[in-house]
Amino acid sequence: MKFTGVDDVLIKLESAHYIPSREIATVVFLADATSKPILVEGPAGVGKTELAKAVARSLGRELIRLQCYEGLDEAKALYEWEYAKQLLYTQMVKDKINDVIAGAETLAGAVDRIAAQEDAFFSERFIQPRPLLKAISSDKPPVLLIDEVDKSDPEFEAFLLELLSDFQVTIPELGTRKAVNIPFVVLTSNNYRDMSDALKRRCIHLYIDYPERELELRIVMLKNPGIHGRLAGQVVDMIRAIRNLDLKKKPCISEAIDWARSLISLRIEGITPEVVLQTLPMICKYRADSEKVKKSLDTLFSRV
Amino acid sequence: MVGLILNFVSACRASGLRVSTAEFLDCLAQLDLVDISDEVQFKTVLSSNFAKSRRDRCRFEQLYRLFFHELSQIPASSSPESMGGLIAELVEVLREGADGDVTYRAIIEFLSGNPLTFLAELKRIRTEEHPATQGGRFNLGPLASRLQVLVNLNRLRNMVAHFINANESRLGFDTGQNLALYFNASLDTAYTLLMNEPRPPGDDTREVTTYRQHYRRLGELPFSMLSQREVEEMREVIVELVRKLKDMATRRWASHSRSVLDVKKTLRRAQRYQGIPVEIVFRHHPPRKAKIIALCDVSSSVWSAARFMLNILYSLQECFTKVHSFIFVSGLAEVTAIFEAHEINLAIEKVLREAAIEYYAPTDYGETLRHFKRDFMDIPDKKTTLIIMGDARTNYFNPEDAILEELRERCRRVIWLNPEPETEWNTGDSEMLTYKPHCHEVRQCRNLNQLIDFIEDLIL
Repeated sequence: MKFTGVDDVLIKLESAHYIPSREIATVVFLADATSKPILVEGPAGVGKTELAKAVARSLGRELIRLQCYEGLDEAKALYEWEYAKQLLYTQMVKDKINDVIAGAETLAGAVDRIAAQEDAFFSERFIQPRPLLKAISSDKPPVLLIDEVDKSDPEFEAFLLELLSDFQVTIPELGTRKAVNIPFVVLTSNNYRDMSDALKRRCIHLYIDYPERELELRIVMLKNPGIHGRLAGQVVDMIRAIRNLDLKKKPCISEAIDWARSLISLRIEGITPEVVLQTLPMICKYRADSEKVKKSLDTLFSRV
Repeated sequence: MVGLILNFVSACRASGLRVSTAEFLDCLAQLDLVDISDEVQFKTVLSSNFAKSRRDRCRFEQLYRLFFHELSQIPASSSPESMGGLIAELVEVLREGADGDVTYRAIIEFLSGNPLTFLAELKRIRTEEHPATQGGRFNLGPLASRLQVLVNLNRLRNMVAHFINANESRLGFDTGQNLALYFNASLDTAYTLLMNEPRPPGDDTREVTTYRQHYRRLGELPFSMLSQREVEEMREVIVELVRKLKDMATRRWASHSRSVLDVKKTLRRAQRYQGIPVEIVFRHHPPRKAKIIALCDVSSSVWSAARFMLNILYSLQECFTKVHSFIFVSGLAEVTAIFEAHEINLAIEKVLREAAIEYYAPTDYGETLRHFKRDFMDIPDKKTTLIIMGDARTNYFNPEDAILEELRERCRRVIWLNPEPETEWNTGDSEMLTYKPHCHEVRQCRNLNQLIDFIEDLIL
């Protein structure tokens, strides 16, 4: 299944519980239509990862996720030989090997015969596919999420280039594998470091910022069905006001959603300074941030 | 359409965005797929292909506005054909006034609807280096180039007014007014382009101002206010701290997961069990080590903080492939060799006595960056973390922040440590706001607790 147009993306993503801006919808449509990866940047918690999940849900595709970190290498991202299994098999078929080389007259002859059987050990049976190999050999086109690609090493980034432009990978023992179905690829970055020009050139770039007030309100209402409109409005205004403070970690959309959810379960109908103090751990994840919010409660409430 | 987009791409390139042919082709193919009468879609296609990072966005926005909204907006009241002729005529008249001045000609081109030369000129002004001249040093280099453009803009404004006055009988009042409106609007646009340089948004720079309290009393004392006894005390604490950090780093090392099979070792162990590989041995993958370049301001106030940072960095040398250290006041000197030859505390004492820099000169960050670019640009690579420790007080010399941007492109990360309290950043001659957008991270670093936080972040 593919998207038929920008409006189609808007409708489908919304039915998958993700409310995109028109810009996001356009980029998703283009990525789908041209089979190019999307590189998503933006502050933490604005829904970069969620976008990939929503695309998978709306298209009914499987989501394959690769979380990047320093030291991630091909063995964990692409494939690994199952050495233990290979060794076990060699032990079990030892007698068979003797049969194979039984008639050989010279050492070279025996080696040749074994070499002819090499494929038996370097075959699909002994390969353990990791997310990237899984994504390109899948029968149905999946959504591949390469999360926090900025945390990976430059070597891994270079390795990704082949995959992202040609959708193929090379396994020395087996040869080049082309993608059965081209996956929908989403890369996310938190701007820990700058990505190389070569990688950027292969992607469509998307910057997701904190949403407009109306959009954020819609998101909070969508994720918390049954919330009173007035409370949702207050939650969003308060979160937006706190976001303007100079904090170590600014509350993002997911904090707004969680906060609203906890207010509902506490059966609170309106936000007062006491309520904020009581539920502050839902909004601030650092003690210093909590202190700062406590100190500026008065100004926050006068602003809202 | 192709011509229009191509012109826009040229404009992007002229003002410093790197747009490749492949991206241009991608963009054209994608424009066919969307509804270009919807501006959001049209703009998204351009921006997602031409501005591939948050940092490029602001420049892209400026160019987009210029290209698709501001350029050649002919006043609606008059008929376009007659205006077109008049505009061309006036541009010809203005062109005759040219006298070999590059900026003047660039502005004329801009008025006739071709902004490329002007944009390139602006880029030159933005990135030009102004080496210190013999004798006096000052911050006027960039200002002088801007002034040149301003003078020319004013001159053109006068010439336009003059032309319209002289031809008033022929043009008629309304057309004259419209013509003046058109040219003044274009000149205003040029003026805004010059004066409102879009800087990269500082919002993607991580700013760390809070910290954990590792040590109660000693940890809170500002480095600049330590007594001799407290300095000694601090050293002891650092020795203990370094041991703890090393422990943490090695633990991470040990737990780092296995990678490929170590055939040699596996076969050797199998000998013990009649050739049956009972134990399978894997190679360990050491975590990537970083290369460090430390640039330390050693003018009095900052040195007290920088010495402790150098102390810790060199004590933790095993955690890095290489630590290059430089000190600067108004010039730069590499001191890596001193640290390699001597014990740390001795080296720190020696650095100030032996490095070839003038300690009593006013600090000049611009000169320091120029010097680094001239002599040491081969050191940084994609595994390098550049740490600059300084108060960013430039004494009103040219900050040369374009060089820091160049360094950013070569390094993995750029981190600025400022020993001043955050409330004093950007006051007086502090250029922190200018430098900040070029850094990945800025931190306050005025006491031991903050320094510990930073080092933990760096190695763990």
